[in-house]
Amino acid sequence: MTQLSKQNRTLSSLSVGVLAWLVPGAGHFALNEKKRAAIIFAAIVLTFCAGLYIGSIGVIDPVNAKPWYAAQLMNSPAVAILGYLARTGNYPVYGRPNEIGQIYTGIAGLLNLLCIVNAVYMAHLRKIHTAGD
Amino acid sequence: MLFIWLICEKYIQPETKMSAAAFILASFTSPERISTNPQSVLWLLPLVAAIAVVYKATKVPTIKISSFLKEAVILFGSIIVFMLVTALVLCALAWLITD
Repeated sequence: MTQLSKQNRTLSSLSVGVLAWLVPGAGHFALNEKKRAAIIFAAIVLTFCAGLYIGSIGVIDPVNAKPWYAAQLMNSPAVAILGYLARTGNYPVYGRPNEIGQIYTGIAGLLNLLCIVNAVYMAHLRKIHTAGD
Repeated sequence: MLFIWLICEKYIQPETKMSAAAFILASFTSPERISTNPQSVLWLLPLVAAIAVVYKATKVPTIKISSFLKEAVILFGSIIVFMLVTALVLCALAWLITD
């Protein structure tokens, strides 16, 4: 019984984490933290889109900028599609726009990672509180 | 919002809508021109604002717009002041070493 409850808890935290990765803020939304979710979604999506606008989708480079790509992938798995498109080399970008675009999209991904961890932690805390009641 | 949407539906031609969508999508396929002058450092300001907002969104226990904005602005200001102080110290060090 205890093991089953522990499994459910892990599954729930995991599903919140996956939701938060799929769409920024969705993890908090699932936890009924709607204002927090809206703020996180708006801030991360705007930062990511600003990075793409500054440097084009060429800043997502899974071949020559793997560490940046890992950070960008934290935004959402949908970034992999952009990476697949940019892999063709049809969107070249160099110099300052490349730097700023990579920094914006990479930081947006790392901020989403922070939100994923926060959502999982909040889900875990709630489970503990409900189990304690 | 609905009113704007209704006006758009009534008065804007489908071709115009398509070209607007194409224009928006095309703006994400070519980079902006950013020169390497000192003003380009100002690009850090929106990024710092985003960091302050997201960090505070994960930290505050309850979200109340006025207190949340206040905390985010304080963090934003703190980061900027810290970066300015660091820049000044580095400038002073460079000046001491080179002169």
